Amino acid sequence: MTMVVPIGPQHPALKEPEYFRFEVKGEEIVDVDIYFGYAHRGIEETLARRNYKHNIYLSERICGICNICHSTCYCQAVERVAGIEPPERAKYIRSLILELERIHSHMLWLAVAAHEIGFDTLFMLAMRDREHVMDMREIISGGRVHSATNTIGGVRRDVTPEQIPKLMEKLDKLEESVKYYINLFQTDRTIKSRCANVGVLTKEDAIKLCAVGPVARASGVKTDIRVEDPYAAYPNLSFEVITEDDGDVLAKGMVRLREMLESIKMSRQILRELPSGPLRVPVDLKIPPNEAVQRVEAPRGELLYYIRSNGTEMPERVRVRTPTYASAPSLKPMFVGGTVAEIPIVLWSLDVCFACNDRVTLVDAKTGKVSVVTMEELRRWRK
Amino acid sequence: MVKILPKVLANLLRKPFTVKYPYEKVEPADGYRGKPSITKEKCIRCWQCIRACPDRAISVDKETKTPVIWLGRCTFCGECAEACPTKAIVMTKNFEFLDQYEK
Ligand code: SF4
Ligand code: SF4
Repeated sequence: MTMVVPIGPQHPALKEPEYFRFEVKGEEIVDVDIYFGYAHRGIEETLARRNYKHNIYLSERICGICNICHSTCYCQAVERVAGIEPPERAKYIRSLILELERIHSHMLWLAVAAHEIGFDTLFMLAMRDREHVMDMREIISGGRVHSATNTIGGVRRDVTPEQIPKLMEKLDKLEESVKYYINLFQTDRTIKSRCANVGVLTKEDAIKLCAVGPVARASGVKTDIRVEDPYAAYPNLSFEVITEDDGDVLAKGMVRLREMLESIKMSRQILRELPSGPLRVPVDLKIPPNEAVQRVEAPRGELLYYIRSNGTEMPERVRVRTPTYASAPSLKPMFVGGTVAEIPIVLWSLDVCFACNDRVTLVDAKTGKVSVVTMEELRRWRK
Repeated sequence: MVKILPKVLANLLRKPFTVKYPYEKVEPADGYRGKPSITKEKCIRCWQCIRACPDRAISVDKETKTPVIWLGRCTFCGECAEACPTKAIVMTKNFEFLDQYEK
């Protein structure tokens, strides 16, 4: 005899609405259904009704946490459609803010993960250290969250030589604290007992279900868009693609923590080797009919933009595929076989971002009915 | 037990990381994008700012015939300040305001 436990749309682990339906046998989860679509905002259609330049700021607002990835990907896609190449210095600055964003996103992940396993001291510490990277973003882009730095054909703001020592100092502080967290993850008993062998995603499942980003890398799949489809200044930067073999929550955490160290290393390299030159090239926004696809490695994985132009100042179609959407199917093998108490941390181990996700998900009449179905109906559906 | 004592003492004597905000201010970094401010005298009525604003937050004041920014819509991107040829619009460091409009 199984029982259905609905979780959401007001979710206990997340601040965003999403609906999960768990089928449980006692404590054990036997099956899970995920329903997306509660945060649909119609952004893709809106993107097709505004001009290229105004769209930068809308694309930034698809997701607050990875806003720079969205605007970089959008701007690079438009640059590709228009056939222009941003200057070298702009590419380096883009990479710098992208790496800072990765650090801040992973720090936030760490903080919330600690909160989910009831380790609130670590939550406080991670939030405190995240402040360093927020300050760096404020120095570089003038805003703590939304950078507004990217523009079509380059970047709008420069990194001045006076800022560099300040940034380096903050990077040192960050490195120290990240090293402390890595040590903590390797030795702490509380973290181990809550995260080890929980929510395991095997390598086969990760490949079969097309997992992306840290989720795939934690299962031993070596995939990183920064290496596979280099963009911005990444071809000139030296870094390592971090992988772990276990595929459990602990491995996902370790991948993110070690990635932060790589990001810090990369940021230092960028600040040292920043080439001189102009920041942006002029663009004619009347872009002739063309189409392009651009991929960027967001903190959560592969982010994809497709843009089709039609000779006017507005794009004809913009399609966005966000990393959470690609990784969502791998939630099923991670949940099934686990216990109810593991739900929040396993879900968060994916670093889900539903604001990203729900731009295009179709909400049909069926989904509306889901909330009232009985167990019999549910079983019938599954066939 | 004995091992944690030095840690406890260090933590007791440590200064808090947070500040008592309304009494103690934290100055934003240079180049912070706070509330945009308009200097009416400098405006030459070229309406570049209206074209540049991604959120259509800027309109024309009926009486003075100068731009007015609806701050409820403004996202503090700084495009208007960049577009303005006479620097009539600049981004200030002010982030504590309750005004609805900047005239
Ligand atoms: S700062 Fe940006 S959103 Fe605000 S009025 Fe200026 S252009 Fe518009
Ligand atoms: S761009 Fe500057 S000068 Fe032109 S209308 Fe706007 S505020 Fe006035």
